[in-house]
Amino acid sequence: MKKVFQIVLSCSALLLSPNIFADTEAMQVLERMGVVAKQLNYDGIFSYQTGNKLQSIRIIHRADQQGEVERLISLNGVAREVIRTNDMVTCIYPEGKPVQENHRPLGRGFPTDLLRRLSSAAAYYQTSLGKEERVAAHHTQEIVVTPVDNYRYGYSLWVDKENDLLLQSDLLDDQGNVLESFSFSSVSMGLDIPEQSLKPEMQGNEMSWNRTEHGMNAVKMVPKHNSRWQVTWLPEGFNLVTQQNRFKARNGAAVEQQVYSDGLSSVSIFFEKIRARHSHLHGSSKMGAANAFGTIMNAHFITVVGEVPSRTVDKMGNSIRYSESE
Amino acid sequence: MTVNQNELLSALVDGELQDSELDSVLQLLHTNEQARNQLQRYQRASDVLNDHNLSHHQIDLTDRISAALQNEAEFTVSTASKKSAQIITFPTQFWKQAASMAVAASIGALAVVGVMTQPQNQIIQNPQMASVEVETSPMVIAQTGKRWTVEEQEVEERLNSYLVDHNEYAGASGVFSYARVVSYDLGQ
Repeated sequence: MKKVFQIVLSCSALLLSPNIFADTEAMQVLERMGVVAKQLNYDGIFSYQTGNKLQSIRIIHRADQQGEVERLISLNGVAREVIRTNDMVTCIYPEGKPVQENHRPLGRGFPTDLLRRLSSAAAYYQTSLGKEERVAAHHTQEIVVTPVDNYRYGYSLWVDKENDLLLQSDLLDDQGNVLESFSFSSVSMGLDIPEQSLKPEMQGNEMSWNRTEHGMNAVKMVPKHNSRWQVTWLPEGFNLVTQQNRFKARNGAAVEQQVYSDGLSSVSIFFEKIRARHSHLHGSSKMGAANAFGTIMNAHFITVVGEVPSRTVDKMGNSIRYSESE
Repeated sequence: MTVNQNELLSALVDGELQDSELDSVLQLLHTNEQARNQLQRYQRASDVLNDHNLSHHQIDLTDRISAALQNEAEFTVSTASKKSAQIITFPTQFWKQAASMAVAASIGALAVVGVMTQPQNQIIQNPQMASVEVETSPMVIAQTGKRWTVEEQEVEERLNSYLVDHNEYAGASGVFSYARVVSYDLGQ
């Protein structure tokens, strides 16, 4: 009798907690999505939209014994191509357009690490299955990622039910408004991709770098505790994950960057020593989903930037303190 | 819907069609509901791409186009050319007048328009890609602006530089970082 009671109790608990099943299944979908993004051949067009800015990008991805090769071609706006191989990223700009050293695409490739990021941030987001919809003529399953507070954004992800490729992703504010969206409009999967399709067609300035290198600026990693700047308020779950000093090539200014993250959302704080009389942001600003807060303290421009709500950067920025002793 | 039909619809929105093509596309619109829906999406996309603020209210242009077509006594080459000019210009003007409203756009249709307006791309030459129909749900993206809300260019440039550095080192929001940086200098 006791055993029967335990079974009934367990079943009741499961029935009352549908998210237990939904979360498990949702995480399984994300896991498969991460694998597929690295292993599947596909050729498609996705649009990236933020505010009233729209960029259409063709992506060709091939994976074989040699690893991954990915080619991206911007289809509107400034023409350029990006070729990403296992270790190398090459960005090709049109002839006559100067290569600006801060125009660096990430070496991370099409998102494959969402599950890992979400796993480390699991305490601050609820993941569940959403509805089923068609995206780019494919049947997809929505995965809803909802933050536990209003200091970070949520996501809606639509994953192809047949091939597990991520076909649409929306960044959502706490009112459910879509702040950014990228979405495939057409995609072919599992096809043979000839070598020629992965060769750049543009003639222009090329810039290549190794994915393991951190950009073109001189970067000096510093111990995390070795800073005079302290942030005394952080959203729950945010920790200092990176701290580095760099010199801006443009004006030679020394800039310290601190990166805080909960695993999924992240915020950077820049401390730039003022070298001459310049203007700086006072208070808040925003562009698309990105928010910034600026102030001046101890002859430094302080700037907090991240794809988090404005209340987060404001509160973090107002909590910064300067210590005379390191 | 074939690629050629999509191209015709896109060209119709851009006002680039000649007489015979015009007749073809009008005939298509007359008989094909999917084509009428596609035209509506292209029109919205065109306005978004041209920075016209639109309404997310679903104004059904297809009904008006259908009504205009039905009012024609006979669909002949000579009358079609004359009537079609009115039909083409109407949506553009109408949408321009709706400039104070918010945006509703089909992401898929927007992307297709982006493709079709780029002569250097070769997507439409790929038969496998071309066979895929685009049909996605309308989406409203919060209008948060494409530039920092600051007065001075110096400050804007610094914020842009910081945002790129943030995206690179922090991975930002993961899913969006790649597209965000690839599209970084759109419109600059």
